[in-house]
Amino acid sequence: MMNSDNSWIVAWSDSLGFPEAMPQWIYAAAALICTFCFVIVPCGALMSYFERKLAADLQARVGPNRAGPAGILQPIADLLKLLQKESRTEWNWKENIWLSVHTMALYSTLAVLPLGSMAVLVNTEMSVFLPFWAALVLALGTMLLGLGQNSVPGWFGGIRVAAQTLAGSFPALISLLCTGVRSGSFRWSSLAESQGFSPWDWTLLANPFQMIAFSVFVMSGLVLLAIPPLDGGLSMSDIHGGVASHLYGRRLSLFQFGRFYGFFFWSVITVVLFLGAWDLPVSLVNSLKSMGAHQLLALSELLWLLVKTFALMLLIIWIAKVNSRSRVDQITDFVWRVLSPFSLAALVGSSLWAGWRAF
Amino acid sequence: MKKSIFSAVGLYVRDVLLGAWSITGSCMTAFPYLLRWGDLRKEVTEGYPDPISSKTADDLPTRSRGLLFNDIDRCTGCGECEKVCPSRCIKIKDEPGADPSKLWVSVFDIDFSRCIFCGLCVEVCQPGSLAHTRQYEGAAYQVSDLVASFGRGTVTDEHRSKWAILRKMSESDEASP
Repeated sequence: MMNSDNSWIVAWSDSLGFPEAMPQWIYAAAALICTFCFVIVPCGALMSYFERKLAADLQARVGPNRAGPAGILQPIADLLKLLQKESRTEWNWKENIWLSVHTMALYSTLAVLPLGSMAVLVNTEMSVFLPFWAALVLALGTMLLGLGQNSVPGWFGGIRVAAQTLAGSFPALISLLCTGVRSGSFRWSSLAESQGFSPWDWTLLANPFQMIAFSVFVMSGLVLLAIPPLDGGLSMSDIHGGVASHLYGRRLSLFQFGRFYGFFFWSVITVVLFLGAWDLPVSLVNSLKSMGAHQLLALSELLWLLVKTFALMLLIIWIAKVNSRSRVDQITDFVWRVLSPFSLAALVGSSLWAGWRAF
Repeated sequence: MKKSIFSAVGLYVRDVLLGAWSITGSCMTAFPYLLRWGDLRKEVTEGYPDPISSKTADDLPTRSRGLLFNDIDRCTGCGECEKVCPSRCIKIKDEPGADPSKLWVSVFDIDFSRCIFCGLCVEVCQPGSLAHTRQYEGAAYQVSDLVASFGRGTVTDEHRSKWAILRKMSESDEASP
């Protein structure tokens, strides 16, 4: 289960003074905590800043500009403000339980998130599907969170989230298969190896069907996790945010950060599947390896992956900001009648293409 | 006539492409805003007053309160307006004038940066010298430009000597017949 080549983790953890014969699960837990604290949280802060600046530019506004130079400290200011909000007096045990389930399901995907050739914790023939199943569990938690709130927005929001997830999971799964058809395996490592640094080596540009699969995968991910512009399940205008309508203060920031994380992990997976993963130029990788600079290689792979992820996320945010949001029934209708047939066509097309190339 | 399967598929694909085209279009419309390109950077000067929608002084209501004007020849310098002004924007300085029974209004300043155009000063003005004009475009580049001075200026020694001569002449005129 564990990736055998975890020398870089050992190299990092040696400086922390751990004993020699450490069980592997401690390394794994430490890696997860480090990933969360040093990759996910800073990315969330940066992305929320970029998103607000981008939206401000598109709407000819200034955007955050008070906290720090050019408003760069705004995420921290927001966090501090949300943390000091008073909590509600009455105790809704259902809401607390389902918020915890939701959050746990969400961050269980951290274990299967690929962040570089040496930062892949779970690398099996099933690994591509694991975040996918986690997303389904997450939707269940979100739905029950809404149903546990004893309010109309909560009930409707929960049911809408379930409807969106059921709709989005089918084309997502089918378009996921298209990448496996090209690389011949669902291991993160082989998916990355089948691509390259140059965009011409990416799965996206391998053939027109992969392009269709890419668009379908991105859009169905937005539906599955209810991310703007396809976030009808959490719509503000008619159900006051749905599942999130009763959350505020710390719980709301937890929920919102979870939504960002969902967006982030789907974008990371999309980059790994379609946009050349973490692949750096071969000569650079070889020279770094010959120098023995494994930490530098791991860091640069992570950075390159994150740069592509941010670019994809900003593209999606751009599309979300300039287009009107769809109603939840329009979204599910769109998924079943447009995305699903297109994903099937992409699967058939890319399979035929792969078969043609094999002969 | 029943549609054939091919025409149905064609219409379906056309709709999907139109949707993609529409989304791309809205993204490209917003694109210049990201980089502040082209027309967005160009300074645009609009005609003012706008010939279609702008109001001119003639369109204003009859009792509209524009910038204040003080007819200094009729002003007695009583200072009622200064007392009643809620924003204290009127400054008056009086001195004994050529005619000792009347006041010489040396300073009558209205600070329009503080004036709220309430019209109380006009209401209390006994000689009716202070009045609202119909002018409402009071923008200025400096705050100090917003002070309107209607005063006659401080009395100098030259004035005094001239007045003394005039007074003597008029007294001798009265005495001679």
